[in-house]
Amino acid sequence: MTRAEHVALKGTREGLVLYLDPTADFEVLMKELDKLLKDSVQFLQGASVRCYAGQKEYTEDEHARLETVLREQHLELAGWLTSEEVYVPGKSQSQTTEDKETRLGEEGMMEGSCLFVERTLRSGKSVQFDGHVVVLGDVNPGAEIIATGNIAVLGSLRGVAHAGATGERNATVSAYYLAPTQLRIADLVTRGPEDEADGRGPEIARIKDDQLIVEAAGMNGWRGKAR
Amino acid sequence: MGEVIVVTSGKGGVGKTTTSANIGTGLAAAGHKVVLVDTDIGLRNLDVVMGLENRIVYDLVDVTSGNCRLKQALIKDKRFPNLFLLPAAQTKDKTAVNPEQMRLLAAELKEEFDYAIIDCPAGIEQGFRNAIAGADRAIVVCTPEVSAVRDADRIIGLLEAAELRNPKLIINRIRPAMVKRGDMMDITDILDILAVDLIGVVPEDESIVISTNRGEPAVMDQASQAGEAYRRITSRIQGEEVPLMNLDVPKGIMERMKSLFGLR
Ligand SMILES: Nc1ncnc2c1ncn2[C@@H]1O[C@H](COP(=O)(O)OP(=O)(O)OP(=O)(O)O)[C@@H](O)[C@H]1O
Ligand SMILES: [Mg+2]
Repeated sequence: MTRAEHVALKGTREGLVLYLDPTADFEVLMKELDKLLKDSVQFLQGASVRCYAGQKEYTEDEHARLETVLREQHLELAGWLTSEEVYVPGKSQSQTTEDKETRLGEEGMMEGSCLFVERTLRSGKSVQFDGHVVVLGDVNPGAEIIATGNIAVLGSLRGVAHAGATGERNATVSAYYLAPTQLRIADLVTRGPEDEADGRGPEIARIKDDQLIVEAAGMNGWRGKAR
Repeated sequence: MGEVIVVTSGKGGVGKTTTSANIGTGLAAAGHKVVLVDTDIGLRNLDVVMGLENRIVYDLVDVTSGNCRLKQALIKDKRFPNLFLLPAAQTKDKTAVNPEQMRLLAAELKEEFDYAIIDCPAGIEQGFRNAIAGADRAIVVCTPEVSAVRDADRIIGLLEAAELRNPKLIINRIRPAMVKRGDMMDITDILDILAVDLIGVVPEDESIVISTNRGEPAVMDQASQAGEAYRRITSRIQGEEVPLMNLDVPKGIMERMKSLFGLR
Protein backbone atom coordinates (compact mmCIF):
# COMPACT_ATOMS: atom_id res chain seq x y z
CA MET A 1 0.00 0.00 0.00
CA THR A 2 1.45 3.36 -0.98
CA ARG A 3 1.43 6.30 1.25
CA ALA A 4 -0.53 9.43 0.50
CA GLU A 5 2.35 11.89 0.15
CA HIS A 6 0.67 15.07 -0.90
CA VAL A 7 -2.70 15.12 0.80
CA ALA A 8 -3.58 14.77 4.46
CA LEU A 9 -6.80 14.98 6.36
CA LYS A 10 -6.65 16.13 9.97
CA GLY A 11 -9.34 16.42 12.57
CA THR A 12 -8.98 19.73 14.42
CA ARG A 13 -11.05 21.38 17.07
CA GLU A 14 -12.72 23.42 14.33
CA GLY A 15 -13.50 20.43 12.14
CA LEU A 16 -11.79 18.58 9.34
CA VAL A 17 -9.00 20.25 7.40
CA LEU A 18 -7.73 18.88 4.11
CA TYR A 19 -4.11 19.79 3.43
CA LEU A 20 -3.08 19.85 -0.22
CA ASP A 21 0.57 20.08 -1.14
CA PRO A 22 0.79 23.36 -3.12
CA THR A 23 3.77 22.08 -5.10
CA ALA A 24 2.15 18.84 -6.21
CA ASP A 25 0.59 18.16 -9.59
CA PHE A 26 -3.19 18.44 -9.46
CA GLU A 27 -3.74 14.99 -11.00
CA VAL A 28 -1.56 13.41 -8.31
CA LEU A 29 -3.52 15.26 -5.66
CA MET A 30 -6.82 13.97 -7.03
CA LYS A 31 -5.59 10.39 -7.14
CA GLU A 32 -4.28 10.44 -3.61
CA LEU A 33 -7.33 12.21 -2.31
CA ASP A 34 -9.64 9.66 -3.86
CA LYS A 35 -7.76 6.84 -2.18
CA LEU A 36 -7.52 8.57 1.17
CA LEU A 37 -11.24 9.23 1.21
CA LYS A 38 -12.15 5.71 0.22
CA ASP A 39 -10.07 4.42 3.13
CA SER A 40 -11.64 6.62 5.74
CA VAL A 41 -15.04 7.27 4.32
CA GLN A 42 -17.10 5.37 6.88
CA PHE A 43 -15.92 7.64 9.55
CA LEU A 44 -16.31 10.81 7.61
CA GLN A 45 -19.76 10.47 6.04
CA GLY A 46 -21.61 13.75 6.10
CA ALA A 47 -18.79 15.87 7.48
CA SER A 48 -17.75 19.20 6.05
CA VAL A 49 -14.14 19.88 5.16
CA ARG A 50 -12.09 23.00 4.75
CA CYS A 51 -9.03 22.94 2.54
CA TYR A 52 -5.60 24.46 2.81
CA ALA A 53 -3.03 24.65 0.05
CA GLY A 54 -0.78 27.50 1.16
CA GLN A 55 -0.60 30.30 -1.43
CA LYS A 56 -1.56 28.03 -4.29
CA GLU A 57 -4.58 29.03 -6.35
CA TYR A 58 -6.53 26.45 -8.28
CA THR A 59 -8.45 27.06 -11.47
CA GLU A 60 -12.22 27.05 -11.34
CA ASP A 61 -12.16 23.75 -13.15
CA GLU A 62 -9.86 22.16 -10.61
CA HIS A 63 -11.90 23.60 -7.83
CA ALA A 64 -15.04 21.99 -9.21
CA ARG A 65 -13.31 18.63 -9.56
CA LEU A 66 -12.14 18.77 -5.98
CA GLU A 67 -15.67 19.50 -4.90
CA THR A 68 -16.98 16.57 -6.93
CA VAL A 69 -14.49 14.09 -5.46
CA LEU A 70 -15.46 15.19 -1.98
CA ARG A 71 -19.17 15.05 -2.70
CA GLU A 72 -18.87 11.53 -4.07
CA GLN A 73 -17.79 10.52 -0.58
CA HIS A 74 -20.57 12.57 0.99
CA LEU A 75 -18.26 15.34 2.13
CA GLU A 76 -18.97 19.00 1.78
CA LEU A 77 -16.30 21.49 0.79
CA ALA A 78 -16.94 24.23 3.32
CA GLY A 79 -14.27 26.69 2.25
CA TRP A 80 -10.57 27.51 2.14
CA LEU A 81 -8.27 28.38 4.97
CA THR A 82 -5.56 31.04 4.78
CA SER A 83 -2.15 30.49 6.28
CA GLU A 84 -3.16 32.68 9.20
CA GLU A 85 -6.01 30.37 10.06
CA VAL A 86 -4.23 27.09 9.75
CA TYR A 87 -1.62 25.37 11.83
CA VAL A 88 1.38 24.47 9.73
CA PRO A 89 4.04 22.32 11.34
CA GLY A 90 7.22 24.31 11.86
CA LYS A 91 5.43 27.60 11.68
CA SER A 92 5.59 29.46 14.94
CA GLN A 93 1.93 30.07 15.27
CA SER A 94 0.99 28.97 18.72
CA GLN A 95 4.28 28.40 20.44
CA THR A 96 2.94 27.09 23.72
CA THR A 97 0.72 24.29 22.41
CA GLU A 98 3.37 23.23 19.97
CA ASP A 99 5.97 23.01 22.70
CA LYS A 100 3.63 21.02 24.84
CA GLU A 101 2.76 18.65 22.03
CA THR A 102 6.36 17.84 21.19
CA ARG A 103 7.23 17.39 24.83
CA LEU A 104 4.35 15.03 25.48
CA GLY A 105 5.10 13.15 22.26
CA GLU A 106 8.71 12.61 23.22
CA GLU A 107 7.67 11.22 26.55
CA GLY A 108 5.28 8.80 24.88
CA MET A 109 2.20 10.61 26.00
CA MET A 110 -0.78 11.48 23.91
CA GLU A 111 -3.43 14.09 24.51
CA GLY A 112 -6.87 14.45 23.06
CA SER A 113 -10.49 13.70 23.67
CA CYS A 114 -11.18 10.13 24.59
CA LEU A 115 -14.17 7.81 24.63
CA PHE A 116 -14.40 5.14 27.31
CA VAL A 117 -16.52 2.14 26.35
CA GLU A 118 -17.32 0.42 29.61
CA ARG A 119 -18.42 -2.91 28.23
CA THR A 120 -17.76 -5.58 25.64
CA LEU A 121 -18.55 -4.69 22.03
CA ARG A 122 -20.40 -7.63 20.55
CA SER A 123 -20.93 -8.55 16.91
CA GLY A 124 -22.82 -5.88 14.97
CA LYS A 125 -21.69 -2.96 17.16
CA SER A 126 -19.81 -0.08 15.61
CA VAL A 127 -18.12 2.70 17.56
CA GLN A 128 -16.88 5.76 15.67
CA PHE A 129 -15.18 8.55 17.49
CA ASP A 130 -13.16 11.66 16.75
CA GLY A 131 -10.41 11.02 19.29
CA HIS A 132 -9.02 8.03 21.22
CA VAL A 133 -11.13 5.03 22.19
CA VAL A 134 -10.56 2.86 25.25
CA VAL A 135 -12.62 -0.32 25.65
CA LEU A 136 -12.99 -1.77 29.12
CA GLY A 137 -13.90 -5.21 27.79
CA ASP A 138 -13.55 -7.23 24.59
CA VAL A 139 -14.14 -6.30 20.97
CA ASN A 140 -15.68 -9.42 19.43
CA PRO A 141 -15.57 -10.60 15.83
CA GLY A 142 -18.15 -8.66 13.84
CA ALA A 143 -17.73 -5.48 15.93
CA GLU A 144 -15.67 -2.47 14.80
CA ILE A 145 -14.03 0.62 16.19
CA ILE A 146 -13.05 3.57 14.05
CA ALA A 147 -11.14 6.37 15.76
CA THR A 148 -9.14 9.34 14.55
CA GLY A 149 -6.76 8.73 17.45
CA ASN A 150 -5.53 5.62 19.25
CA ILE A 151 -7.45 2.52 20.21
CA ALA A 152 -6.75 0.59 23.39
CA VAL A 153 -8.64 -2.55 24.39
CA LEU A 154 -8.29 -3.92 27.90
CA GLY A 155 -9.61 -7.33 26.88
CA SER A 156 -9.37 -9.25 23.61
CA LEU A 157 -9.53 -7.42 20.30
CA ARG A 158 -10.97 -9.84 17.74
CA GLY A 159 -13.07 -7.46 15.64
CA VAL A 160 -12.02 -4.68 13.27
CA ALA A 161 -10.05 -1.67 14.51
CA HIS A 162 -9.13 1.42 12.52
CA ALA A 163 -6.97 3.93 14.36
CA GLY A 164 -5.84 7.24 12.89
CA ALA A 165 -8.82 7.01 10.57
CA THR A 166 -8.26 10.46 9.08
CA GLY A 167 -4.65 9.75 8.21
CA GLU A 168 -2.82 10.04 11.53
CA ARG A 169 0.09 7.69 11.02
CA ASN A 170 1.33 7.94 14.59
CA ALA A 171 -1.82 6.30 15.87
CA THR A 172 -1.62 2.92 17.60
CA VAL A 173 -3.88 -0.02 18.37
CA SER A 174 -3.16 -1.96 21.53
CA ALA A 175 -4.91 -4.79 23.32
CA TYR A 176 -4.37 -7.28 26.08
CA TYR A 177 -4.96 -9.96 23.46
CA LEU A 178 -4.51 -8.60 19.96
CA ALA A 179 -6.10 -10.88 17.34
CA PRO A 180 -8.17 -8.57 15.14
CA THR A 181 -10.08 -9.72 12.08
CA GLN A 182 -8.56 -6.71 10.40
CA LEU A 183 -6.43 -3.90 11.69
CA ARG A 184 -5.95 -0.51 10.08
CA ILE A 185 -3.85 2.45 10.99
CA ALA A 186 -4.27 5.54 8.81
CA ASP A 187 -4.05 4.21 5.25
CA LEU A 188 -2.42 0.85 6.05
CA VAL A 189 -4.40 -2.36 6.40
CA THR A 190 -3.44 -5.76 7.73
CA ARG A 191 -5.33 -8.93 8.41
CA GLY A 192 -5.24 -10.65 11.76
CA PRO A 193 -2.60 -13.21 12.66
CA GLU A 194 -3.24 -16.68 11.24
CA ASP A 195 -1.77 -18.44 14.25
CA GLU A 196 -4.02 -18.09 17.27
CA ALA A 197 -1.16 -18.38 19.73
CA ASP A 198 -2.38 -17.97 23.27
CA GLY A 199 -0.61 -16.18 26.07
CA ARG A 200 1.28 -13.71 23.95
CA GLY A 201 0.38 -10.97 26.35
CA PRO A 202 -0.42 -7.34 25.58
CA GLU A 203 0.63 -6.09 22.17
CA ILE A 204 0.67 -2.82 20.31
CA ALA A 205 0.38 -2.19 16.60
CA ARG A 206 1.92 0.87 14.99
CA ILE A 207 3.42 2.09 11.76
CA LYS A 208 7.18 1.90 11.44
CA ASP A 209 8.91 2.69 8.15
CA ASP A 210 5.66 2.46 6.20
CA GLN A 211 4.94 -0.97 7.66
CA LEU A 212 2.27 -1.95 10.09
CA ILE A 213 4.05 -3.85 12.80
CA VAL A 214 2.93 -5.54 16.01
CA GLU A 215 5.17 -5.70 19.02
CA ALA A 216 4.88 -6.71 22.63
CA ALA A 217 3.71 -3.82 24.74
CA GLY A 218 6.48 -3.35 27.28
CA MET A 219 4.48 -4.21 30.36
CA ASN A 220 6.70 -6.56 32.28
CA GLY A 221 4.39 -6.93 35.22
CA TRP A 222 1.66 -8.21 32.97
CA ARG A 223 3.51 -10.57 30.77
CA GLY A 224 3.55 -14.27 31.46
CA LYS A 225 0.64 -14.04 33.82
CA ALA A 226 -2.02 -16.47 32.69
CA ARG A 227 -5.44 -15.00 32.12
CA MET B 1 -45.96 -15.77 39.48
CA GLY B 2 -44.39 -17.81 36.76
CA GLU B 3 -41.41 -17.12 34.59
CA VAL B 4 -41.14 -16.41 30.88
CA ILE B 5 -38.07 -17.87 29.20
CA VAL B 6 -37.29 -17.10 25.56
CA VAL B 7 -35.22 -19.55 23.50
CA THR B 8 -33.36 -17.67 20.78
CA SER B 9 -30.28 -17.92 18.53
CA GLY B 10 -29.98 -15.45 15.66
CA LYS B 11 -28.93 -18.10 13.18
CA GLY B 12 -31.63 -20.42 11.92
CA GLY B 13 -31.77 -24.17 12.31
CA VAL B 14 -29.47 -24.47 15.31
CA GLY B 15 -32.06 -26.11 17.59
CA LYS B 16 -34.36 -23.51 19.16
CA THR B 17 -37.54 -25.46 18.52
CA THR B 18 -35.95 -28.74 19.57
CA THR B 19 -34.72 -27.06 22.76
CA SER B 20 -38.08 -25.42 23.52
CA ALA B 21 -39.94 -28.72 23.12
CA ASN B 22 -37.48 -30.63 25.26
CA ILE B 23 -37.10 -28.25 28.17
CA GLY B 24 -40.85 -27.56 28.16
CA THR B 25 -41.60 -31.28 28.31
CA GLY B 26 -38.83 -31.80 30.87
CA LEU B 27 -40.22 -29.10 33.16
CA ALA B 28 -43.72 -30.56 32.82
CA ALA B 29 -42.40 -34.03 33.66
CA ALA B 30 -40.94 -32.50 36.82
CA GLY B 31 -44.45 -31.43 37.78
CA HIS B 32 -44.51 -27.77 36.73
CA LYS B 33 -47.37 -26.18 34.88
CA VAL B 34 -45.83 -25.20 31.54
CA VAL B 35 -46.89 -23.49 28.33
CA LEU B 36 -44.91 -23.57 25.10
CA VAL B 37 -45.42 -20.55 22.85
CA ASP B 38 -44.47 -20.76 19.19
CA THR B 39 -43.74 -17.23 17.92
CA ASP B 40 -42.37 -18.37 14.55
CA ILE B 41 -45.39 -17.02 12.69
CA GLY B 42 -45.55 -18.34 9.15
CA LEU B 43 -43.07 -21.15 9.84
CA ARG B 44 -44.60 -22.93 12.77
CA ASN B 45 -42.88 -26.15 13.83
CA LEU B 46 -43.32 -26.60 17.54
CA ASP B 47 -46.73 -28.25 17.11
CA VAL B 48 -45.16 -30.85 14.82
CA VAL B 49 -42.24 -31.53 17.17
CA MET B 50 -44.76 -31.96 20.00
CA GLY B 51 -47.02 -34.15 17.85
CA LEU B 52 -49.98 -31.80 18.32
CA GLU B 53 -50.40 -30.51 14.79
CA ASN B 54 -53.86 -32.01 14.24
CA ARG B 55 -55.36 -30.36 17.30
CA ILE B 56 -54.85 -26.72 16.34
CA VAL B 57 -58.01 -24.64 16.17
CA TYR B 58 -56.91 -21.16 17.23
CA ASP B 59 -53.40 -19.67 17.26
CA LEU B 60 -51.22 -16.93 18.73
CA VAL B 61 -52.54 -14.24 16.38
CA ASP B 62 -56.14 -15.18 17.23
CA VAL B 63 -55.29 -14.56 20.88
CA THR B 64 -53.35 -11.30 20.48
CA SER B 65 -55.93 -9.84 18.11
CA GLY B 66 -58.85 -10.83 20.31
CA ASN B 67 -60.44 -13.43 18.01
CA CYS B 68 -60.52 -15.90 20.88
CA ARG B 69 -59.67 -16.18 24.54
CA LEU B 70 -56.29 -17.53 25.61
CA LYS B 71 -57.88 -20.67 27.10
CA GLN B 72 -59.53 -21.55 23.79
CA ALA B 73 -56.23 -21.47 21.91
CA LEU B 74 -54.19 -23.53 24.36
CA ILE B 75 -53.69 -27.14 23.28
CA LYS B 76 -53.22 -29.76 25.97
CA ASP B 77 -50.25 -32.08 25.50
CA LYS B 78 -50.73 -35.80 24.80
CA ARG B 79 -48.60 -36.97 27.71
CA PHE B 80 -48.80 -34.33 30.41
CA PRO B 81 -52.03 -32.69 31.54
CA ASN B 82 -49.95 -29.79 32.93
CA LEU B 83 -48.29 -29.01 29.57
CA PHE B 84 -49.85 -26.74 26.95
CA LEU B 85 -48.98 -25.34 23.55
CA LEU B 86 -49.94 -21.99 22.09
CA PRO B 87 -49.25 -22.53 18.37
CA ALA B 88 -48.11 -19.90 15.88
CA ALA B 89 -50.31 -18.77 13.02
CA GLN B 90 -49.24 -20.39 9.80
CA THR B 91 -51.03 -18.19 7.28
CA LYS B 92 -50.01 -14.75 8.56
CA ASP B 93 -46.63 -13.04 8.90
CA LYS B 94 -44.56 -11.68 11.74
CA THR B 95 -46.10 -8.23 11.63
CA ALA B 96 -49.47 -9.69 12.66
CA VAL B 97 -48.25 -9.38 16.27
CA ASN B 98 -46.41 -6.52 17.95
CA PRO B 99 -44.14 -6.45 21.02
CA GLU B 100 -46.72 -4.68 23.17
CA GLN B 101 -49.26 -7.45 22.53
CA MET B 102 -46.60 -10.01 23.41
CA ARG B 103 -45.85 -8.22 26.68
CA LEU B 104 -49.53 -8.38 27.63
CA LEU B 105 -49.74 -12.03 26.65
CA ALA B 106 -46.63 -12.88 28.68
CA ALA B 107 -48.10 -11.17 31.73
CA GLU B 108 -51.28 -13.22 31.33
CA LEU B 109 -49.34 -16.47 30.93
CA LYS B 110 -47.30 -15.79 34.05
CA GLU B 111 -50.50 -15.66 36.12
CA GLU B 112 -51.47 -19.10 34.95
CA PHE B 113 -48.23 -21.05 34.49
CA ASP B 114 -44.98 -21.80 36.32
CA TYR B 115 -43.03 -21.54 33.07
CA ALA B 116 -43.78 -20.07 29.67
CA ILE B 117 -41.19 -21.18 27.11
CA ILE B 118 -41.10 -18.90 24.05
CA ASP B 119 -39.73 -20.45 20.85
CA CYS B 120 -38.22 -17.54 18.90
CA PRO B 121 -37.89 -17.37 15.11
CA ALA B 122 -34.46 -16.99 13.49
CA GLY B 123 -33.23 -13.49 12.71
CA ILE B 124 -33.12 -10.16 14.51
CA GLU B 125 -36.20 -8.54 13.02
CA GLN B 126 -39.74 -8.13 14.29
CA GLY B 127 -40.23 -11.83 15.06
CA PHE B 128 -37.26 -11.66 17.42
CA ARG B 129 -38.47 -8.44 19.02
CA ASN B 130 -41.89 -10.00 19.56
CA ALA B 131 -40.46 -13.14 21.11
CA ILE B 132 -38.28 -11.33 23.64
CA ALA B 133 -40.80 -8.62 24.50
CA GLY B 134 -42.32 -10.24 27.58
CA ALA B 135 -39.42 -12.49 28.59
CA ASP B 136 -37.80 -12.56 32.02
CA ARG B 137 -34.84 -14.67 30.95
CA ALA B 138 -33.22 -15.84 27.77
CA ILE B 139 -31.59 -19.05 26.63
CA VAL B 140 -29.33 -18.67 23.61
CA VAL B 141 -28.73 -21.74 21.47
CA CYS B 142 -25.71 -22.06 19.21
CA THR B 143 -23.79 -24.78 17.44
CA PRO B 144 -20.00 -25.11 17.46
CA GLU B 145 -19.61 -23.20 14.22
CA VAL B 146 -18.04 -19.78 13.75
CA SER B 147 -21.13 -18.36 12.03
CA ALA B 148 -23.52 -19.59 14.73
CA VAL B 149 -21.28 -18.15 17.45
CA ARG B 150 -21.08 -14.83 15.64
CA ASP B 151 -24.88 -14.65 15.46
CA ALA B 152 -25.24 -15.72 19.09
CA ASP B 153 -22.90 -12.86 20.02
CA ARG B 154 -25.06 -10.40 18.10
CA ILE B 155 -28.17 -11.75 19.80
CA ILE B 156 -26.61 -11.50 23.26
CA GLY B 157 -25.79 -7.85 22.52
CA LEU B 158 -29.38 -7.19 21.44
CA LEU B 159 -30.73 -9.01 24.51
CA GLU B 160 -28.52 -6.87 26.74
CA ALA B 161 -29.76 -3.75 24.99
CA ALA B 162 -33.31 -4.93 25.72
CA GLU B 163 -32.43 -5.31 29.42
CA LEU B 164 -32.42 -9.12 29.23
CA ARG B 165 -29.12 -9.60 30.99
CA ASN B 166 -27.11 -12.76 31.71
CA PRO B 167 -28.60 -15.06 29.10
CA LYS B 168 -27.67 -18.75 29.41
CA LEU B 169 -25.99 -20.61 26.60
CA ILE B 170 -26.76 -24.04 25.17
CA ILE B 171 -24.22 -25.46 22.75
CA ASN B 172 -26.09 -27.93 20.53
CA ARG B 173 -24.89 -30.60 18.12
CA ILE B 174 -21.48 -31.17 19.66
CA ARG B 175 -19.71 -34.14 18.11
CA PRO B 176 -17.35 -35.57 20.69
CA ALA B 177 -15.24 -37.36 18.08
CA MET B 178 -14.68 -34.13 16.18
CA VAL B 179 -13.83 -32.23 19.34
CA LYS B 180 -11.30 -34.91 20.18
CA ARG B 181 -9.68 -34.57 16.79
CA GLY B 182 -9.62 -30.79 17.20
CA ASP B 183 -11.83 -30.35 14.14
CA MET B 184 -14.63 -28.55 15.90
CA MET B 185 -14.77 -25.20 17.55
CA ASP B 186 -13.82 -25.76 21.14
CA ILE B 187 -16.32 -25.07 23.92
CA THR B 188 -13.74 -22.93 25.69
CA ASP B 189 -13.22 -20.86 22.53
CA ILE B 190 -16.96 -20.26 22.29
CA LEU B 191 -17.21 -19.26 25.94
CA ASP B 192 -14.17 -17.01 25.53
CA ILE B 193 -15.95 -14.98 22.91
CA LEU B 194 -19.50 -15.03 24.23
CA ALA B 195 -18.57 -14.62 27.91
CA VAL B 196 -21.92 -15.93 29.21
CA ASP B 197 -22.82 -18.85 31.46
CA LEU B 198 -23.19 -22.25 29.88
CA ILE B 199 -26.34 -24.10 30.90
CA GLY B 200 -25.81 -27.19 28.81
CA VAL B 201 -24.09 -29.02 25.99
CA VAL B 202 -26.24 -31.25 23.75
CA PRO B 203 -24.57 -33.86 21.55
CA GLU B 204 -25.38 -34.46 17.91
CA ASP B 205 -27.77 -37.38 18.17
CA GLU B 206 -29.97 -39.10 15.64
CA SER B 207 -32.53 -39.80 18.34
CA ILE B 208 -33.42 -36.08 18.01
CA VAL B 209 -34.40 -36.61 14.40
CA ILE B 210 -36.35 -39.76 15.21
CA SER B 211 -38.16 -38.20 18.16
CA THR B 212 -38.90 -35.03 16.17
CA ASN B 213 -40.53 -37.04 13.42
CA ARG B 214 -42.51 -39.02 15.95
CA GLY B 215 -43.64 -35.93 17.80
CA GLU B 216 -42.19 -37.15 21.10
CA PRO B 217 -39.42 -34.99 22.59
CA ALA B 218 -36.17 -36.89 23.24
CA VAL B 219 -36.13 -35.77 26.86
CA MET B 220 -38.64 -38.57 27.59
CA ASP B 221 -36.42 -41.21 25.98
CA GLN B 222 -34.22 -42.62 28.73
CA ALA B 223 -31.87 -44.18 26.17
CA SER B 224 -31.22 -40.92 24.29
CA GLN B 225 -27.93 -39.08 24.88
CA ALA B 226 -29.42 -35.76 23.76
CA GLY B 227 -32.43 -36.54 25.95
CA GLU B 228 -30.09 -36.96 28.92
CA ALA B 229 -28.49 -33.60 28.10
CA TYR B 230 -31.92 -31.96 28.06
CA ARG B 231 -32.88 -33.64 31.35
CA ARG B 232 -29.80 -32.07 32.91
CA ILE B 233 -30.58 -28.68 31.39
CA THR B 234 -34.11 -28.94 32.80
CA SER B 235 -32.68 -29.56 36.25
CA ARG B 236 -30.37 -26.56 35.91
CA ILE B 237 -33.27 -24.33 34.91
CA GLN B 238 -34.88 -25.36 38.18
CA GLY B 239 -31.77 -24.23 40.02
CA GLU B 240 -30.05 -27.57 40.61
CA GLU B 241 -26.34 -28.00 40.13
CA VAL B 242 -25.75 -30.87 37.75
CA PRO B 243 -22.41 -31.78 36.21
CA LEU B 244 -21.97 -31.72 32.45
CA MET B 245 -22.31 -35.08 30.72
CA ASN B 246 -19.12 -36.85 29.92
CA LEU B 247 -18.84 -36.00 26.26
CA ASP B 248 -15.08 -35.91 26.50
CA VAL B 249 -15.20 -32.17 26.40
CA PRO B 250 -12.15 -30.33 27.70
CA LYS B 251 -11.75 -29.81 31.41
CA GLY B 252 -12.25 -26.48 33.07
CA ILE B 253 -15.68 -25.93 31.64
CA MET B 254 -17.50 -26.83 34.80
CA GLU B 255 -15.81 -23.89 36.51
CA ARG B 256 -17.36 -21.64 33.94
CA MET B 257 -20.87 -22.82 34.63
CA LYS B 258 -20.96 -20.46 37.52
CA SER B 259 -24.35 -19.16 38.46
CA LEU B 260 -26.89 -21.51 37.00
CA PHE B 261 -30.45 -20.33 36.83
CA GLY B 262 -31.05 -18.96 40.29
CA LEU B 263 -34.67 -19.74 40.86
CA ARG B 264 -37.69 -18.66 42.78
N1 LIG C 1 -28.66 -32.35 18.86
C1 LIG C 1 -29.15 -32.61 17.65
N2 LIG C 1 -28.81 -33.76 17.00
C2 LIG C 1 -29.30 -34.03 15.76
N3 LIG C 1 -30.15 -33.24 15.09
C3 LIG C 1 -30.54 -32.08 15.67
C4 LIG C 1 -30.06 -31.71 16.97
N4 LIG C 1 -30.61 -30.52 17.28
C5 LIG C 1 -31.40 -30.16 16.24
N5 LIG C 1 -31.36 -31.09 15.26
C6 LIG C 1 -32.07 -31.04 13.98
O1 LIG C 1 -31.77 -29.82 13.35
C7 LIG C 1 -32.89 -29.30 12.68
C8 LIG C 1 -33.20 -27.89 13.14
O2 LIG C 1 -33.59 -27.91 14.49
P1 LIG C 1 -34.69 -26.91 15.06
O3 LIG C 1 -35.88 -26.92 14.18
O4 LIG C 1 -34.86 -27.21 16.48
O5 LIG C 1 -33.91 -25.55 14.86
P2 LIG C 1 -34.48 -24.07 14.99
O6 LIG C 1 -33.36 -23.27 15.57
O7 LIG C 1 -35.76 -24.06 15.71
O8 LIG C 1 -34.71 -23.71 13.46
P3 LIG C 1 -35.47 -22.41 12.89
O9 LIG C 1 -34.47 -21.29 12.97
O10 LIG C 1 -35.78 -22.80 11.48
O11 LIG C 1 -36.67 -22.19 13.76
C9 LIG C 1 -34.04 -30.26 12.94
O12 LIG C 1 -34.19 -31.12 11.84
C10 LIG C 1 -33.58 -31.03 14.16
O13 LIG C 1 -34.10 -32.34 14.18
MG1 LIG D 1 -37.70 -23.20 15.08
